[in-house]
Amino acid sequence: MTEEGTATEENPVLYVVRPMATAAKQFAKSLVRPSTVIYPFERLEDPAFREEVAVASGKPIGVGAIWDNYRGVHALNIATCISCNLCAFSCPDLCIEMVTVPGGDPKHPKKCPEIDYGKCSYCGFCSDACPEGCLTMTTRYELATAKRSEMVYSPEKLYEVFRTKLPMNPIRLERPENEDQILLDPPLCIGCNACARDCPTACITMLDVAKPEAKAGEKLPKRIWKEPVVNDSDCVRCGTCISVCPKECLFWGKRP
Amino acid sequence: MSQVTLYSVAYTLSDDLLRAVGSILPAGPRGLVTSGTAVTALALLVFGAILLAASMLNTILLIWWERKLLGRFMDRRGAMHVGYAGLLQNFADGLKLFRKNTFQPREADSLGFYFGPTAYLATSLMIFGILPISSGWNAGSLPLTLLLALTIFSFAPLFIFVSAWSSNNKYSLMGGMRSAAQMIAYEVPLLLAVVAVVIVAGSFDLTTIVYEQQNYWFWGPLVVALIVFVAGMLAEMERIPFDLPEAEAELVEGWNTEYGGMLFAFFMLADYLRALVGSILVVLLFLGGWTLPTWVPGSLTSFPLAGIVWFMVKTYLVFGLFVWVRAALPRVRTDQLLRVGWNRMIPLALLSVFLAAVLVEVRCLPVFGCVPSAGV
Ligand code: SF4
Ligand code: SF4
Ligand code: SF4
Repeated sequence: MTEEGTATEENPVLYVVRPMATAAKQFAKSLVRPSTVIYPFERLEDPAFREEVAVASGKPIGVGAIWDNYRGVHALNIATCISCNLCAFSCPDLCIEMVTVPGGDPKHPKKCPEIDYGKCSYCGFCSDACPEGCLTMTTRYELATAKRSEMVYSPEKLYEVFRTKLPMNPIRLERPENEDQILLDPPLCIGCNACARDCPTACITMLDVAKPEAKAGEKLPKRIWKEPVVNDSDCVRCGTCISVCPKECLFWGKRP
Repeated sequence: MSQVTLYSVAYTLSDDLLRAVGSILPAGPRGLVTSGTAVTALALLVFGAILLAASMLNTILLIWWERKLLGRFMDRRGAMHVGYAGLLQNFADGLKLFRKNTFQPREADSLGFYFGPTAYLATSLMIFGILPISSGWNAGSLPLTLLLALTIFSFAPLFIFVSAWSSNNKYSLMGGMRSAAQMIAYEVPLLLAVVAVVIVAGSFDLTTIVYEQQNYWFWGPLVVALIVFVAGMLAEMERIPFDLPEAEAELVEGWNTEYGGMLFAFFMLADYLRALVGSILVVLLFLGGWTLPTWVPGSLTSFPLAGIVWFMVKTYLVFGLFVWVRAALPRVRTDQLLRVGWNRMIPLALLSVFLAAVLVEVRCLPVFGCVPSAGV
């Protein structure tokens, strides 16, 4: 037994009187109005209710502090989504599936996230990762349904959430200063245009490269004499180009 | 007209009832049904039924009262949806428990397993039966009511230990042993505190003790005894901070771990019944029972059932004190519990006995007035 333990236990003021006084104070406070929000009948987002609490307790309840960064159902602005896949990559619960939505061309379909709220942990990584700020989290929290399938929100449904103009979680991660860039290993590239075709931001341009003179006895590789050039300021670092490249000639690195 | 008592009410009721039954019967059976013996027998039954109903109703209301108070202490509301302000919530809970299957662990000793809770509840009900609640409601106005009540009250560790042991569960057994140790340790100061009251009141009859306090509630002059008595009661009732026998964090649910359904409800009811009895004893011994001082305006004390109303108000307030303690204090350890019991409470109790003796000798105190005439 520690010394303090003995002291507390043998001191009736410390052990009995002080806690009893604290409890009495709390009792007096919550006799007026306990903190409980009687949820289905009272809602924090109801301005009238907040007004009532503010009057009863003499101080406003945390609209700003609690509310702005609340992470509820997502809102998706389909119009600005660039189908970069970053949200699905960053989801730790693998609850995002990229599904085709109307609006792309046949060769290059537009894909937007579909979220399964049965799995989502509301971590917000997806909206942090979204480079366009089109996937955000709102303050909507009522998701109860009778069917499991209704827990899966299609991009259209997420867009409906977007259109309700609920307060949205505006937190955006700053892009780090020294981000890696997409680099090319030129000898491997065959100029197939796959990266430029699939780049969601169209920041890859295929530029002509000079076709070298074939030396005696040497065979030039069979390829298209073009090479991708990445516009770093437009690139959202989604890695699509790396994953579509058939020759694995793109990689992350720092340009010298 | 003599005073209306609970028994006279029961007697009138059964008399009327049997008369009504007798009037539709032929002469032979009528004489049998309306005979004095039959009426007395039925009156006793009705009397018991009223007592049972009153104790159960109060127990359930007490649980509600604790839930509401504790809620406010914890900045929440407590039960509030079933019935007005959640008043019917505990009835609903009780019904739920009633419908549940009772089961028994495989290796448990059936006799002890079922006997324990039943006897625990039955003895707790017995104490309620003999406690006077008002001038009309004193079934057991015997010269030694107080001793009888405390004797029955101290049966509990036995039944708890029997049910814990026969559950064949180590947590139950540990809880049962703790319970026995705790109750025996606190029985002594509890009884000594009672002795202080008895010295001043000069009687073991609770009715006499109450009337002794008409203008001289004992809590003032005997405040040391009151503190010891309340602490001892908390330990006897196994309420926080002395709820070691069912310390959830260590012993699952303590000695009633293996009980479910209605048997659990028995324990729950008996626990709260004992809490009710504890509060009632505090009111009877220290707070003047159903009487109010004579300077209180007569309109407050003369309406029908005034005694019962004031008694219940006091009882629920005293129980509120127990809830307050529960809300504020952390659970003590076993060694602390026993040390406080033997090293602090017993000396304090002896001191209170001494003070009571001095009080009877001095007879008058500056603030509190004089000891009533009957003091020994
Ligand atoms: S909030 Fe987290 S878990 Fe939910 S979809 Fe986004 S990344 Fe996945
Ligand atoms: S991260 Fe944003 S832009 Fe990229 S696919 Fe997801 S929602 Fe669309
Ligand atoms: S990582 Fe590649 S595909 Fe993605 S935006 Fe940058 S260049 Fe385009």
